[in-house]
Amino acid sequence: MIINSIRQSFGETLCKLAKTNKNIYVVNADLKSSLFLNNFAKKFPHRFIECGVAETNATGIAAGLAKTGKTVFLTSFACFSPAINWNTIKQSICYNNSNVKIIGSHAGLLSTDLGATHQMLEDIALMRSLPNMEVFSPLDALETAKIIKAVTFSKKPAYIRLVRPSTPNFFNPKLDFTIGKSHRLQSGKDITIIGHGPILEEAFQVQAKLNLDQKYKKISLEIINCSSIKPLDTATILKSVKKTGHLICLEDHQKNGGLGEAVASLILSNNLSCKFIHLAVDDKFGRSAKTYQELYDYYGIGVANLLSAVKRIL
Amino acid sequence: MLPFIKPHPLQIVSKNLRHDLLDMVYKNGGHIGGSLSSIDLVTAIYFGNIFNFKRDHFVLSAGHLAPALYVVLANAGYFPKNFLDTYSSFNSLLQGHVSHDVPGVEYSSGSLGQGLSFACGLALGDKKRTTICLTSDGEHQEGQIWESLLFAKKYKLGNLINIVDFNQMQIDGPTSNIMPLDNLAAKYIQFGWTVTTVDGHNLHQIISALKNAKKSDFPNCIIAKTILGKGISFMENNFHYHDVKNLPEGLFNKAKSEL
Repeated sequence: MIINSIRQSFGETLCKLAKTNKNIYVVNADLKSSLFLNNFAKKFPHRFIECGVAETNATGIAAGLAKTGKTVFLTSFACFSPAINWNTIKQSICYNNSNVKIIGSHAGLLSTDLGATHQMLEDIALMRSLPNMEVFSPLDALETAKIIKAVTFSKKPAYIRLVRPSTPNFFNPKLDFTIGKSHRLQSGKDITIIGHGPILEEAFQVQAKLNLDQKYKKISLEIINCSSIKPLDTATILKSVKKTGHLICLEDHQKNGGLGEAVASLILSNNLSCKFIHLAVDDKFGRSAKTYQELYDYYGIGVANLLSAVKRIL
Repeated sequence: MLPFIKPHPLQIVSKNLRHDLLDMVYKNGGHIGGSLSSIDLVTAIYFGNIFNFKRDHFVLSAGHLAPALYVVLANAGYFPKNFLDTYSSFNSLLQGHVSHDVPGVEYSSGSLGQGLSFACGLALGDKKRTTICLTSDGEHQEGQIWESLLFAKKYKLGNLINIVDFNQMQIDGPTSNIMPLDNLAAKYIQFGWTVTTVDGHNLHQIISALKNAKKSDFPNCIIAKTILGKGISFMENNFHYHDVKNLPEGLFNKAKSEL
């Protein structure tokens, strides 16, 4: 399996797009290197605005700049933006409907050694709740490139969640990313697994384990990559859950306000009934570790947890 | 012999605007204290023949001063004057705090301290035009303001003017008690801004400061010393008139006669 960096894909894609799209600006809060924007800053110094460690002001700058016709990428870590600056995002970006794309990198427990303050587990909840805001969480480096391209064609505010380590590539390069559409990474008949971000790789590992198990080898998982968290692809989700009657939502985020809650609400609102398990961080702060697997196991979102949920739900 | 200073012709305009403001707030409630302290500033900005808001930008950072901006925009012909009667009502275009749905309004605000950052973004993206921001002194207690002061200096935003409605009062009392700003002009100078201090009810001074600021190479701050509730004796410097609901008829009539 090819391993690539999601954030590197972001930085390189943006630099590529900026060559032809002169309206692309970056408003940065002292995390240029971490977001692979050194090249962008070198090539387009007048379109690279450095605000220093001042995310709240950077948010206002991005919003004002966007109102002069630019497509502005506001770049920082997810634990700072959209966290420190939430109210400025609400008023200056969302209510004023400014064309700003918020890039929150280093999200989730994948920032393993950094500890609770840097493991952003609430960003989806914060951004989902805002009117006008669209929310995306790419599966891998390939999809990141497609999402970044897609949002530059939209005039709406968006939040894009990126992660720190290099992660496996799953996205079918022949497919396009469309806002509000999900892709089935694998078709199945028994259990629908919906998630966002690199954690979905666990579903393939679990399927492989099921295949080797006499008792479970006929069980097939339908794996849905829900990278478009808002707007949700309601048709794909409902169709799959109607078919399987079993749903597991998996995410490297708090249960509260996460994708799982959005999907559960969708299911209930459509008078569907299904067995449902939400695997996510349950009202706890993160902590340091040397490998992300240690953390995923500790918080109940590791491969073993998913496998046990699959067996439990049937 | 004292020189005779002719009142500025806009003095009449701002007097009429105060009447509209009072009528509107009497009917619907609203933040009258700061609106009366800032209305001469807004009058100068819109009627002083300095800016052209088909191109230049105006950002009201202190969104609770919406009544002042709304009466000015109505009188400037952005929308019919009878809209003022509906202020902050259900289905009214005129939201309680200033909203970009209103013709002539570029930025929605209400949460303090954000407008100056937005104005910096406009000034940076549209260097050929002037961006004017109106902030209150109280909102300088927000940290975001100081972040934007650093930014404006770094990016040499000479096309940016921040005019501060320095009435020294805020919702819970005098600014000197709540959180002193001390020498605000010195702070702006230290942050690399050009600073002018004016009497915020003297239209000659305000207009001349705005004209000078337009020519500057540094970000410009005009500290306009104003009086909360200016023009109505019982509201002047009285922080209980930050926001008014149900002004009694007797007080309304007294206020009208004083204007």
